[in-house]
Amino acid sequence: MRFLFVDRILSLEPGRSIEAERVFPGDLDFFRDHFPGFPVVPGVLLTEMMGQAAAMCLNAEDPEIGRGRAVLAQIRSASFRDWVRPDELISIRAEIRTNRAELATAVCSAGVRGSRVSTADLLFTFLPKERTAPDDRDEVLESFLASRGRVKDRSHG
Amino acid sequence: MTKDTDEILAWVADIFETPLEKIRPETKRDEIEAWDSLGILTLIARMDEDYHILLTDEEIQRLRSVGDIIDFLHRRDANPGP
Repeated sequence: MRFLFVDRILSLEPGRSIEAERVFPGDLDFFRDHFPGFPVVPGVLLTEMMGQAAAMCLNAEDPEIGRGRAVLAQIRSASFRDWVRPDELISIRAEIRTNRAELATAVCSAGVRGSRVSTADLLFTFLPKERTAPDDRDEVLESFLASRGRVKDRSHG
Repeated sequence: MTKDTDEILAWVADIFETPLEKIRPETKRDEIEAWDSLGILTLIARMDEDYHILLTDEEIQRLRSVGDIIDFLHRRDANPGP
């Protein structure tokens, strides 16, 4: 299983906010264990999903900033208010609160059929571009930017 | 609004997830386990969120004890920055 938990970006204001979607297909192996007879998406994956969406929002900023790839540094708080079952469409929203060279914070939420199922307050730091593979790219983000006539310059960070 | 020293001590204890009784003005940075690189990021974020203060790199370097944080916030009370 790839560790990519955002399927599609719906709207994006780089460095400020993002709306995205995700479905965890019912044939994913972990549903056999979480939980037997009652498969639900693990809260840690919901948190990671919201974190990945917020990171895309930060990574979409002007490459001239050159601070690298946003990575989760701290789960400041997280709540899980309802079950998320396999194959349900999850709506993700993240708003960036603090956005500085060395860190960023984001307030995130996830919803199913209009009801909020999870919230998270996350802190990010940045992984310098030279620490990741030269061909490191985010296909979901690039696809969204291309659809809007914007292309992320990968020569910077 | 003037920040009471006890209020700041509780704020610091919360940031570094350390029992309040272990946080005194004379407590040094290296005596607080969570005052590490992640702790510094948390301190920067909370300064911004709670007090609307954007710490500079120089200011961060000068914070070496809990007392330094208290003095810094009291100075900011007296001379609010931009």
